[in-house]
Amino acid sequence: MKLLPFEKPLEILYKELERRKRNGEDTLHLEELIEKQMEEIYKKLTPFDTVLVARHPDRPQPQDYINALLTDFTEFHGDRVSEDDPALIAGFGFFKGMPVFAMGTRKGHNIHERLKYHSGMLSPSGFRKAARLVETVSHSFKVPIISFVDTPGAMVSPQSEMSGQVEAIYKSLSALLNANVPVISVITGEGGGLGAIGISTGDRILMLTYSYFAVVSPEAGSAILFKNTEAKSRVASQLHLTARELLSLNVIDGIIEEPLGGAQRFKNAVIKSVGDALQSELETLLKEPVTELKKRRLEKYESMGVFTK
Amino acid sequence: MNIFGKKKKIVLPVIQGDGQDVKVRCNSCGRLIDYDTLKENYKICPYCGYHFRMSATERISVLADKGTFDELGEPIQSVDVLNFTDTVPYKKRLADLKDTVGLPNAILAGSGKIGGIQCAIGVFAFEFLNGTLGSATGEKLAELIRFAGKNSLPLVVVFSSAGERVQEGIFSLMQVAKTVSALNAYKEKEGSLFISVLTNPVLGGVASIAMAGDVIIAESGSYVGVSGPRISEYVMKRSLPKEAQKVENLMKRGFVDIITDRKGLKDTIIRILKFQNKWGKL
Repeated sequence: MKLLPFEKPLEILYKELERRKRNGEDTLHLEELIEKQMEEIYKKLTPFDTVLVARHPDRPQPQDYINALLTDFTEFHGDRVSEDDPALIAGFGFFKGMPVFAMGTRKGHNIHERLKYHSGMLSPSGFRKAARLVETVSHSFKVPIISFVDTPGAMVSPQSEMSGQVEAIYKSLSALLNANVPVISVITGEGGGLGAIGISTGDRILMLTYSYFAVVSPEAGSAILFKNTEAKSRVASQLHLTARELLSLNVIDGIIEEPLGGAQRFKNAVIKSVGDALQSELETLLKEPVTELKKRRLEKYESMGVFTK
Repeated sequence: MNIFGKKKKIVLPVIQGDGQDVKVRCNSCGRLIDYDTLKENYKICPYCGYHFRMSATERISVLADKGTFDELGEPIQSVDVLNFTDTVPYKKRLADLKDTVGLPNAILAGSGKIGGIQCAIGVFAFEFLNGTLGSATGEKLAELIRFAGKNSLPLVVVFSSAGERVQEGIFSLMQVAKTVSALNAYKEKEGSLFISVLTNPVLGGVASIAMAGDVIIAESGSYVGVSGPRISEYVMKRSLPKEAQKVENLMKRGFVDIITDRKGLKDTIIRILKFQNKWGKL
């Protein structure tokens, strides 16, 4: 596994563990030591460290959650206008026996996948696919929407600009706000700016412990404010982008706990926790009439912000 | 100071004393323009047609019928909610802006007449932190949209913004959802009409809000898109050709209804307002 810069103290221990395993020596003590060391490290993560964990290539990604948590998942393609954006996986399946619509950004676990899926950055066709399917779900299928978010941001390229990226984001955001069904989003890794909010507005926003959600990535924020990316760590601390900070600011609704060490080490456990959290949220949301849900969803967004009169 | 060396960097002068004989160098063609001539010419360069930026109050003075604009509600102040410091503490930036710009946030909103037709009018103030969308700006815009709906008025918003305000972090991003939600409610009303005016530049989430317009008018030569040049340069490690965000090209691709220069803008808006049958009389 790729070790992150702040995990370097573990490197030597992992090597020793490997050696002992190879030689058939006792590893119990060493494993305990590693666990302890890891807990120490993860208890002291800075916000920028958290961003690095959120970006770890081995973390489960939206497509992994969808494939693990849904049965009979059937992917739908295309925006009915231009093309099918491979960066957005979207379709229907059964979640614990209940039909749901699920979508999420595909990021890719290796360089080959990352190129294919644009690292989870949606193109206009991705946002339009989301918008059209959310409208269909809201009108015809009438099932809950689950959106998994792991994106560094919306695609920025000459093609995406010329194909109306900002308009496409508006369409998707607006469709989710207007949906006449419960909407839950889970930020599983990166929640970068417009690209994230364009597919995450809903009744409940949940975040994993080591995910982030921010107006811009720390690098972009640093570029905007300092004209270089050197201040990324400082900007990360000031943006209040971690799940804990966002929960205390009342911007998100809940945190799905990851074990110390992160989802990249405890994939199945974290996927199970996400499933449990979704089930409990859905049970609560489905008890309420959808008109009431939607009213409160809009009230929630219309009351967001801090200012003085 | 070498005023000839970097002609692109020289922007609007501060008028000193009685303001006589102040000259401005055009950002585009580099020629010297008499400031009074420029002002009379809607701040358009008489030689090359370059549109200088207008302040929110200047914009209102050329858009709303004289003496009809009334500011809406109480002033809403931006707050340093995250205790943010970039090169300067955000608190200090806000305090300074209060003195220099004289606005509590980056939008001037109110009601007024355009060509004799009562409208809800919002104008982004680029002079206030590049017209960025903080909580106070978002709330004011939402208040304007609600006001337009409540009073069955057409909504005219002139956008000029560098996008979200990083110093307000996630709250800035949430303003995009907030205003889109308010716009959805407005647009649900039969007879509502949102005229969105794009001026140079409109970026990020503010551009997404602007694209909700029932009618989208752009001032010629404006740039509209997801992010400014700095992000593409530093983060994407490649520069984004400016042409991709030029409204002339966006119109060709189908995202803008009308392009007009600033002189023709008010007349264009008046015509569109007149094309609409009076509210409730259909």
